[in-house]
Amino acid sequence: MATHFEMELDNLKSIIKKIGKLAEGQVSEAVKILLQEPEAAEGKIIKKTENKIDKLDIKIDEICQSIFALQQPVASDLRFIMSAMQISNEIERIGDLSISIVKKAKNIKEKHDLILKFDIADIARQVELITVKTNNCFASQDGNATGVIFVLNKDIRNSCEDAIHDIINEMKVNSKAVVSGTNLVIVLKHLERISEHCTNIAEYVYFTVNAKIIKHDKSDDLKAEE
Amino acid sequence: MKDIKIKVNDLSLYYGDKKALNEITMDIPANKVTALIGPSGCGKSTFLRCINRMNDLIPSVSITGKMLVEGVDIYDKNVDVVNIRKKIGMVFQKSNPFPKSIYENIAYGPRINGMKDKTELDEIVETSLRQAAIWDELKDRLDDSALGLSGGQQQRLCIARTLAVSPDIILMDEPASALDPISTSKIEELVHQLKEQYTIIIVTHNMQQAARTSDHTAFFYMGNLIEMGKTNSIFTKPVQKQTEDYITGRFG
Ligand SMILES: Nc1ncnc2c1ncn2[C@@H]1O[C@H](COP(=O)(O)OP(=O)(O)O)[C@@H](O)[C@H]1O
Ligand SMILES: [Mg+2]
Repeated sequence: MATHFEMELDNLKSIIKKIGKLAEGQVSEAVKILLQEPEAAEGKIIKKTENKIDKLDIKIDEICQSIFALQQPVASDLRFIMSAMQISNEIERIGDLSISIVKKAKNIKEKHDLILKFDIADIARQVELITVKTNNCFASQDGNATGVIFVLNKDIRNSCEDAIHDIINEMKVNSKAVVSGTNLVIVLKHLERISEHCTNIAEYVYFTVNAKIIKHDKSDDLKAEE
Repeated sequence: MKDIKIKVNDLSLYYGDKKALNEITMDIPANKVTALIGPSGCGKSTFLRCINRMNDLIPSVSITGKMLVEGVDIYDKNVDVVNIRKKIGMVFQKSNPFPKSIYENIAYGPRINGMKDKTELDEIVETSLRQAAIWDELKDRLDDSALGLSGGQQQRLCIARTLAVSPDIILMDEPASALDPISTSKIEELVHQLKEQYTIIIVTHNMQQAARTSDHTAFFYMGNLIEMGKTNSIFTKPVQKQTEDYITGRFG
């Protein structure tokens, strides 16, 4: 039989899964809006979900605070709750970045051409994928599922860097492309940040499972090997 | 090694046919607090009593293996038990002051050891009570009976009594389990201060107390030492599953 405390931990876990799913939805909504035009019903759903995410983020903090105060968690329980607080922050940031992407996407003229020209769709899809994988990784608390995420993050970062490089070159020769190009660079930076937040979440799962801290570990290859 | 105060090697203890400690091997560091934790009946008190040979008083007991205190095997035939017990003080769960004055409780040990000089005794009484963080509370009533003190004060008095004979090692068997939270935190604070001068081994069934007070924690289960390590590691990333289950309350 599950103890009262275990039930509380399960509850916490299911709320994090829920907020994770919401953020995943925000990312996929943002990607959809970015890749399609015109931005039809954009804004409404995404704003509503944003409020839900904020509320859950606060709720998670409150639950963790009360567990710390009342249960004095130790060992894997302690690591799980420490991670829970951090992960909900990361998820909340992913939500914010999705909204910023939508806002910036509005200012990109001739979006389709640019997206095609710089392979933005591929990057956006990969970012969608990493959010899904990250949620699965948390749900399964599988320390081995983290390696894939670190590798994917590295790919995304490289693709973003390449695309940004190309866009800047384009802007140098074509002054009409500057406004849209700048916005697109910001969008890419946001996508890259989302992927980075996913990686942080994977690091917290790794910490929970293996009791080893790998954040600030600069070498992704090393992490991928873990 | 200089930093190791007590070296236990393959120590087993039987009560008649019943093996209560199974081949315990561990190093207890000097000037640190080592906590012994584990479920009731796992052998914590038995182990603690091995360190000052208190189990000798129980006729059915037989012991194998070694217990080296500062390199000397205390179970060696040539070793004088009285000398060992002088160096190793013990504080019990139930405070047990003598039915005498506060002063006499403290002066008793030094007197037995042959100290007669009144000024010297006064000095020892004061220092011991100060070290036990109870001097200010008791200095004006040294001639009152010790039995009139509160539970928490009695326990600190017993600690002072232990300190009066200047031991190296202090063994504590659930010293705060009968006390209220304020007295408990006074004892815990005291333990923390005393480790500068003494090696302390404390048995506690209160996990948070072990976490708060000790530098090292040893987890016993059914007469076996399952795991020993820095308290910080034991409570954040224990190696053994049994330890994890016990400290997270998922035992059995
Ligand atoms: N004097 C004794 N005679 C026989 N068995 C004993 C005696 N003292 C303890 N035991 C047994 O040895 C085991 C360990 O006891 P103890 O050291 O008191 O455990 P703990 O302090 O961890 O609760 C228990 O099974 C207990 O019943
Ligand atoms: Mg006991």
